[in-house]
Amino acid sequence: MLRARAAKKFSKFALVPLVIFTIVLVIPFVNGFYYTFTDWDGFETTKFVGFDNYVKSFKDPTFWATLRFTTLFVVVSLVIVNVVAFGLALIVTSNLRSRNVLRTFFFVPNLIGGVVLGVIWQFVFNSALVALANKYDWALFKESWLQDTHKAFWALIIVTVWQSSGYMMIVYITGLVSIEQEVLEASQIDGASPLRTLLTIKIPLMAQAFTIALFLTLRGGFMAYDVNVALTGGGPFRTTELISLHIFQDAFANGNFGTGQSKAVVMFIIVAMAALVQVTISKRYEVQR
Amino acid sequence: MNKTKKLGFLALASAVTMSMVVAVPAPAATACPKKATVTMLGTIKIEIQDQFLAAVADYNKSQKCYTVKSIPGDRKLTFLQNVTPMYAAKNAPTIMYTLQEIPDMADKVIDWKGTKLVSLVSPGLLAAANVGGKQVGVPSTAEAFGLLYNKKVLADAGIDPAKIKTRGDLENAFKTLQAKGKKAIHFSAIWWSLGAHFTNIYHANSAKTHEGRLKVLDQLSDGSKDLSKDAVFQNWLATFDLLKKYNGSTANLTDTEYDASIASLSSGNYGFLFQGNWTEPNLMTAAPGTDFGIMPLPISTDAATYGNDSIPVGVPGYFMIDAKQSTKAERDGAIDFLTWLYTSPKGQGFVANPVTKGGMGFIPVYKGFKVEPATSMARDISKFVVAGKTLEWINTYYPAGLQETVGKVSMQQYFTDKITSADLAKAIQDAWKGSVKTWRGVKK
Repeated sequence: MLRARAAKKFSKFALVPLVIFTIVLVIPFVNGFYYTFTDWDGFETTKFVGFDNYVKSFKDPTFWATLRFTTLFVVVSLVIVNVVAFGLALIVTSNLRSRNVLRTFFFVPNLIGGVVLGVIWQFVFNSALVALANKYDWALFKESWLQDTHKAFWALIIVTVWQSSGYMMIVYITGLVSIEQEVLEASQIDGASPLRTLLTIKIPLMAQAFTIALFLTLRGGFMAYDVNVALTGGGPFRTTELISLHIFQDAFANGNFGTGQSKAVVMFIIVAMAALVQVTISKRYEVQR
Repeated sequence: MNKTKKLGFLALASAVTMSMVVAVPAPAATACPKKATVTMLGTIKIEIQDQFLAAVADYNKSQKCYTVKSIPGDRKLTFLQNVTPMYAAKNAPTIMYTLQEIPDMADKVIDWKGTKLVSLVSPGLLAAANVGGKQVGVPSTAEAFGLLYNKKVLADAGIDPAKIKTRGDLENAFKTLQAKGKKAIHFSAIWWSLGAHFTNIYHANSAKTHEGRLKVLDQLSDGSKDLSKDAVFQNWLATFDLLKKYNGSTANLTDTEYDASIASLSSGNYGFLFQGNWTEPNLMTAAPGTDFGIMPLPISTDAATYGNDSIPVGVPGYFMIDAKQSTKAERDGAIDFLTWLYTSPKGQGFVANPVTKGGMGFIPVYKGFKVEPATSMARDISKFVVAGKTLEWINTYYPAGLQETVGKVSMQQYFTDKITSADLAKAIQDAWKGSVKTWRGVKK
């Protein structure tokens, strides 16, 4: 009786999403995994090639260079986005009068699509800043930042931070407001300074928000594509290609669907491992209430 | 029955005989009990999308048998990325239009051999879509690239472009322009301009015969070519250096430079621009009333050297018709539509009339065109074509991805003085080494 009811409940709520999930995610994923062991050319497969595609992928020096660049991008953007987002969350949950306006203000960049954002910032770096630099003699901006590998990296970071801090801020706000008022009052009565309150009360009690925000930025960093395409296009000299763009280029520009797909599988494994490690570690700091 | 229809039926009849179907084409309109929908991916190119769709609408109005429908596709994606999911979904478009991906499509499309359209094009313009003897596509138009110039600026400076026959002459023209207070040339660092078109200047000049030029590709693929010992390559490098030296603009490694370069040439401050005739509508919109011309980029100091007096003319894309997933009626309709477009007076109007008159402004490549090209640069190109002073688009044969590898990396690095000319030669050799010889019909 109970089992039948459970089954009915399951079919009511989970069956449709599960079917859709299987069709749009599981089947293509398995299919894609299968393709990496064949000579797939985007249209058809004629034979199995074993691990050839993986061997070729690992022998490709540009793949390693892109992986290194992506890792650097993920680490730097993860740190900066979360520091900035947490800072913003503290500002807008304080007693500032303008806090509601500021919340909207900080969140808006997240509503602009990545490609549009990339094009806007491309104009800023290529034209606006260069024009201003020539007028006021700012050496730093005289040459477009997108012309130089290191500066183009920072341009990518700036735009990513600008885009995603607002979103992560919302996550942190949720964490901050979920802390019970009594605990905070108790600490105040005990004479804790604001910094002490932040470090020993607020942060430990909202560790869950950190788990979520860190996971989202980690995943976002590895998956970053649209801003990369629209802002730097991988340039200068293809030195700022992130892994997604590299895979896209390999498959659809060079027509190497086999290696492109196997690189995508490698990327999936890396992201899954990194996310798993991150979530396990941050879970440890979460306080059960 | 009007003339258009007659031609349509003629093409239909020839198509039917060609595909060797036993059935005799039924007479008159009863031939098609059900209207077949012919799909086409894209609209040739975005710049003339409205004009092309107008042509399609006009054709559909005149039709009892076929409806042509353009499927937009995602312009941000490559041709292959658009087409592969459609094939996987058993929903391939009937008409496809592309250039670089022809080798990938060759076994999936019909052989155009024996059709009316093929008989109207010169073999040279069919070559790039002939894969191992199979004519997989027919051309849309011809395009050319080379040195574009602002006719007024050159005339004011007293320069006659027809007299620029060597690299030395070109440098003198640059100097004259600078002496008149003008900027000599906008040499843009756009990756596709460098990777496909500028590299082609070397490849098109590399040998006098088609076979000789393909041989250079063979040697590059085998790794037996030493570019640093190649006299044509050295001339090409010297030309690269010359254009860099007199470049009046600063390099911009993102794609936004394209618009900037058009603004430069149309502004009247620059004499030359290395680009192609596809910029003409934009140039004319930016500077109404100004005429722009096109001339060869002479790379040798000896006027008599092969190629010095010619411009690279090629086909920007070919129409292919799916043979795997379409019905016979759809294929016939596709042939009928394209034949109508290029042979009927109405279709020709859409093809060759200038954009201002609702046409696509294409340079005719099929014989028997009643409509003459109307713009200054198009007429210049026609003159080069008639005089036989054309070079090949070897870039059509580049392996997929090569123009990105070379254009985005080594060419832009040399452009911005990050590497030496020896590094550039080596980088080009490395990029070619081991590439599959698709130009010999070898399948990847």
